[in-house]
Amino acid sequence: MALQLSPADIIARVDRDVERSYLRARNGVRYVRGSNRPKLGTSPKDIVWQRDKAQLWRYRGGPIRFRQPLLIITSLVSRSYILDLLPGSSAVGFLRDQGFDVFMLDWGIPDELDADNSLETYVDEYLPRAVAAVRRETGCDELTMAGYCLGGVLSILYANGHHDAPVRNLVLMATPVDFEQMGPMVAALREGRLDPEQLLDETGNVPADVLYSGFFMLAPTTVVAQKATLLENLWNDEFVRGFQAMAQWARDQVPFPGAAFREVVEELIRRNALMEGSLRVGDREIDFAKSGATVLNAMAEQDTVVPRAAAEPIGTLVGRPDRRQQLLLPGGHVTFGTGRSAFRHSLPSLAGWIAAHSDERGP
Amino acid sequence: MAADLPLWLKLVLRVERAVGGPVESAVHSDAYFDAVAELNRAKRLLTDAVEGVSKRGLHLLNLPAGTDIRRVREQLARMDRRLVQISKELAELERAREG
Repeated sequence: MALQLSPADIIARVDRDVERSYLRARNGVRYVRGSNRPKLGTSPKDIVWQRDKAQLWRYRGGPIRFRQPLLIITSLVSRSYILDLLPGSSAVGFLRDQGFDVFMLDWGIPDELDADNSLETYVDEYLPRAVAAVRRETGCDELTMAGYCLGGVLSILYANGHHDAPVRNLVLMATPVDFEQMGPMVAALREGRLDPEQLLDETGNVPADVLYSGFFMLAPTTVVAQKATLLENLWNDEFVRGFQAMAQWARDQVPFPGAAFREVVEELIRRNALMEGSLRVGDREIDFAKSGATVLNAMAEQDTVVPRAAAEPIGTLVGRPDRRQQLLLPGGHVTFGTGRSAFRHSLPSLAGWIAAHSDERGP
Repeated sequence: MAADLPLWLKLVLRVERAVGGPVESAVHSDAYFDAVAELNRAKRLLTDAVEGVSKRGLHLLNLPAGTDIRRVREQLARMDRRLVQISKELAELERAREG
């Protein structure tokens, strides 16, 4: 069916196309030159505690509605600013606006000084001190702990491994427990095709490049589709800004401390030990069903980094059986931090759940 | 949403998926990881051989080679880590003593 356009419509279209061509050219030059890159992780915050490279940030904002603070534990292998990507597109900003007192534990960028950091270092040294700092800052007895990706594994170990852990709610976002369901690089490590020792560099850590390659090889040709979509939307400042931010984050991996990496390979990947519902950390066995916290297993439907099948068993392993809940969210691995579905679905659902399991502050 | 895309972009996306599917299958296969492991082994053998030659040459001139520097850096890092550990233990002891 032929499309009938009036002369006014044709003029409006030509006008729009000319304007977009100009904007494409301008943004294209900026993109190629690398100028005009957005600043990331800029939400106002204070450093309230630090030890070695780990820092605890408290986000500033409007009035706090809920009594229990929200402590976010980020992954060991990627930068924490995915949860605070851009102003107006920041997960922590969103949660802060919902009235939560948001804290985030950032691990910094490991170097040779951190090569001996094991799971025990994070679970027994950093996390208890960070939690104590949150309590000191807020005067609150309990908190909501939200672990993202490997940060979720650390949160499970902390909440169940410390009998005095003041965790009221344990939110596990894209947290893997069944490592048999993880991607091909994990399979190669499990089957011994990749030797973990060969992945370590002279600092004793797994270099960031190796981790980037691992993620890149999940879908090596999608970069073509992404660049083509960018070309089409190059006129749109907002799109370009978001694209640059995501591309920068995806490239900006951090080294994985060697000792923790060896443990992850031996225990989590080769023995698939988390599926046994307990793990030996330091000198004790941590039973995942010990914590009295209400556990929310938040999974993303199209997560290719931590597939749903790798996170699903949390529902039968972590926390007390009557306190386990599940939330299936649209989007991929980063739906907890950025993207259209994050702000339309994932974050409102998460915030709603946490609000329903927190106490409102009195007047 | 997809209907709004221009024809050229639809074509690129379709081609990307047509090529991407088999590429992903290939790079996720056992053969690919075997090849990567072999390549890494070969690269290491080559690097070791080159480093061995350059090291002997530099040592003849009483100069340190890259491998010497790397070893010293590793030793320093180990010492640094030990120092940090001792400082933490000392701080803990002091805190315990102060009650």
